[in-house]
Amino acid sequence: MGVRVMKMSLDHACVIRDSWSLTASGTFDTGVHLVSGGTGSGKSTLALMMAGLFPLSGGCMVKEETNSCMLSLQFPELQVTGRTLEEECASWGAPADKILEATGLTGRRNTSPLSLSRGELKRLHLACVFSRDYDLLLLDEPFSSLDCEEKSKTCTTIEQKPGITVIFTHEQEILPRVFRIWEIAEGRLTDCGRPPDAYERWHHVPPAVKRLAALGSPPGNISMRDIREAACRIHG
Amino acid sequence: MIAIDALRCRNLVIDSLAIGPGITSVIGPNGSGKTTFLRTCAGIELPHHGTVSIDGAAPRATETGWVNEFPDRNILFARVYDEIASPLRFRRDIACDAIDAGVKACAESMHITHLLNREVRELSGGEKVLVSLAAALVHHPKVLLLDEYDSHLDALLAEKVDQVIRASGARYVIRCTQQMNTAMKSDHLLFFDSGRVTHAGTPREVFPFLKNTAFYPVLWECGL
Repeated sequence: MGVRVMKMSLDHACVIRDSWSLTASGTFDTGVHLVSGGTGSGKSTLALMMAGLFPLSGGCMVKEETNSCMLSLQFPELQVTGRTLEEECASWGAPADKILEATGLTGRRNTSPLSLSRGELKRLHLACVFSRDYDLLLLDEPFSSLDCEEKSKTCTTIEQKPGITVIFTHEQEILPRVFRIWEIAEGRLTDCGRPPDAYERWHHVPPAVKRLAALGSPPGNISMRDIREAACRIHG
Repeated sequence: MIAIDALRCRNLVIDSLAIGPGITSVIGPNGSGKTTFLRTCAGIELPHHGTVSIDGAAPRATETGWVNEFPDRNILFARVYDEIASPLRFRRDIACDAIDAGVKACAESMHITHLLNREVRELSGGEKVLVSLAAALVHHPKVLLLDEYDSHLDALLAEKVDQVIRASGARYVIRCTQQMNTAMKSDHLLFFDSGRVTHAGTPREVFPFLKNTAFYPVLWECGL
């Protein structure tokens, strides 16, 4: 039995809305991909496109060996369907006991998901999303509203996911190790390449990475581990 | 001075706290009471016990601007222009041309003039935050309360918004943030844990207590 090679390719896939448009070309292989870009640049639109939820105005998308897909929306409240936390976990096919314990929400099993703070809701939402593995996992702003500890834990979970994981984010501090970096600017998706070579082409390079690169010690990747290692090379 | 005395509200317990003018960042784990604290300072929520006093007045007697952590929950109108104009229109004592001038000036300062005729539902998450912030600033509040407004903004835009906030004339800005690089640039810093303010002071005073936690700024940790 051969090894499955999952892949998603975009060939001038585009959406046009009034005077705004987004065109994307490139291949997303197995591993973690980071898509960055300014506010309103089209990150969420690209996530919806890749999930097949936004009709293309032109071009095409081809999936190979990529059967299951999950999109986690930027605003977790938009994906709530359960009246209680228990029902919400069940709606994702996730074990409520395990999810609620992991998110520190055990005592609130019968409360409404919409009564949670945004950070708590995001934590619950991500735990449900991460409870299964998908061939293509699209995470729109997974770090927004999470506290710093939770961002770190989320990075660890993302790094362990099989398949193709695409993160659409403007987070600049706590990030996972990634396979490839992409950027959206002026209506076009650009492949910046793999870290550390990508830093020269990447406009949204995080401040710590940028400063370390300027000091001649670019981190091998963009995670906190890599940043600490690069800083140690300078400071000892 | 914002003076908080014997405050009890939901899980929030603050015996005594004084916040001076300037930008105060509120940080801490999810569910630690940050939003409840902001809602109490805005007068949206009344404490079960104790008081919040803003230069001697109650929050509800003070002009405040509020940006919700769920921007959609605060937006009332379909069109961006109408949303930003709404705080001025609700006052019912401002002429239409003055409202129009106020909306346009505010939108220009926020670099969102191009959004004025757009439908709110068509905007990205970050753009919705900018609209909410413009609606909070358009009536020149004395106290500006921002609940994780920056979690949907890219770094460059967050920097620009920071400049707008500093130039807004609001005497007190209290903002929840999970961006420690942003919190570093505040006049005052409060760290919340389990409903209590466990550390208060300037960023230079508070962050040393958070060393070896994920809340310690990476730029300081790495000597950058």
